[in-house]
Amino acid sequence: MEYSYYPGCSLTGSAKRLDMATRKILLTLGYTIKEIPEWNCCGAVEYGNKEELIRLSRENLKKAEAVSKTIIAPCPACYRNLKESNRDGDFNIYNPLDMFNVADINKLEIKKDLKKMVFTPYYGCVLLRPKETAIKNRNIIEEIITNFGGEIDGEKIRDRCCGGNLFFSNKEMTEKCVNLIASRSKGIFVVYCPLCHMALNTFSNRKVVYITNIILYMLGERKNI
Amino acid sequence: MEKIIAYTGYKKKDFSACLGCKICASVCTLNDFSMHANPQGLLLKILLGDNTITDDPLIKNCVSCYRCTDACPWQIRVPEVVRAIRETLELSSPFEKAFKGSISIWGRVYEPYIFMNAIGFLIKNGYLKHLMKWTEYISFHLPHKIKRI
Ligand code: SF4
Ligand code: SF4
Repeated sequence: MEYSYYPGCSLTGSAKRLDMATRKILLTLGYTIKEIPEWNCCGAVEYGNKEELIRLSRENLKKAEAVSKTIIAPCPACYRNLKESNRDGDFNIYNPLDMFNVADINKLEIKKDLKKMVFTPYYGCVLLRPKETAIKNRNIIEEIITNFGGEIDGEKIRDRCCGGNLFFSNKEMTEKCVNLIASRSKGIFVVYCPLCHMALNTFSNRKVVYITNIILYMLGERKNI
Repeated sequence: MEKIIAYTGYKKKDFSACLGCKICASVCTLNDFSMHANPQGLLLKILLGDNTITDDPLIKNCVSCYRCTDACPWQIRVPEVVRAIRETLELSSPFEKAFKGSISIWGRVYEPYIFMNAIGFLIKNGYLKHLMKWTEYISFHLPHKIKRI
């Protein structure tokens, strides 16, 4: 079966690496994906008029029909907006985190484990809230890390806000949020959202990686995490 | 006020569903920083047509984390109400305006365009000092203008 793939603006620009890594892992797991032709921006959180925001993603749903009504959307903002605009429920919309499960990863050839490493899984907001649009397995990052020997920290802040939504209007808030998160956790931050990546990376002195880095490292496709 | 309500996607009577329990305030991210945020108060002001909403700390600082929504018995989407207010009062930053400008030209975000259009704002507000940490986000690509299909 072929899946529609919606990269969105971040993944074709500032988070290009997340796009490449995600495509590679999906392919390795046996998913066939095809980019939605001529997709447009989902509007992220920049539109105060809800109808206007929904309309942008509805356009994308229409365009997806050319490939498949089952859509994979990596960026949490795009993923959420697509799900919100799927009011009649005609489409199935997934985040790649829904596909990255431990059982499937275990079937691959694992070359390295995560022993003696400490991580803070960090989901942020949109992947987990509101409930209607949340990912299926709310512990997926922890499950992958612990299954391969890594240690977890920062359980209490995993769904606190990074303040990334205000990054380009009121960055003092973003800085406050990141300071709070960093002060209550330790180890390498593991994220899936490009905005969380940028916020944590800018305002903390800790290493920030995507969960895809970890998977590719275990598969021997990357030297370092 | 009508425009705000229309933008939220709610009807006016939906605002009266709020129980006044203030669970939202107890989980609001802003209150981790003692910013005295009360989403319930904001909803009430909208219901009552009170114009003092502009002074509410949520208008400037709500981070759209949906913690309030998640905890609310009615799952009321306060951040979407805040965004509707910001849009109605035209409070978006030059960066956000450039973001929408890019979408209206190309149908997508094209970072160099946004960067150039918001450069004054970025300099004035001290964003350029982060450039060293942003090198990994810079990737060269040409703008792609969406064709109608
Ligand atoms: S979305 Fe806004 S109002 Fe709601 S908890 Fe977060 S910061 Fe507070
Ligand atoms: S949690 Fe919901 S019902 Fe309770 S005060 Fe807040 S908005 Fe109203």
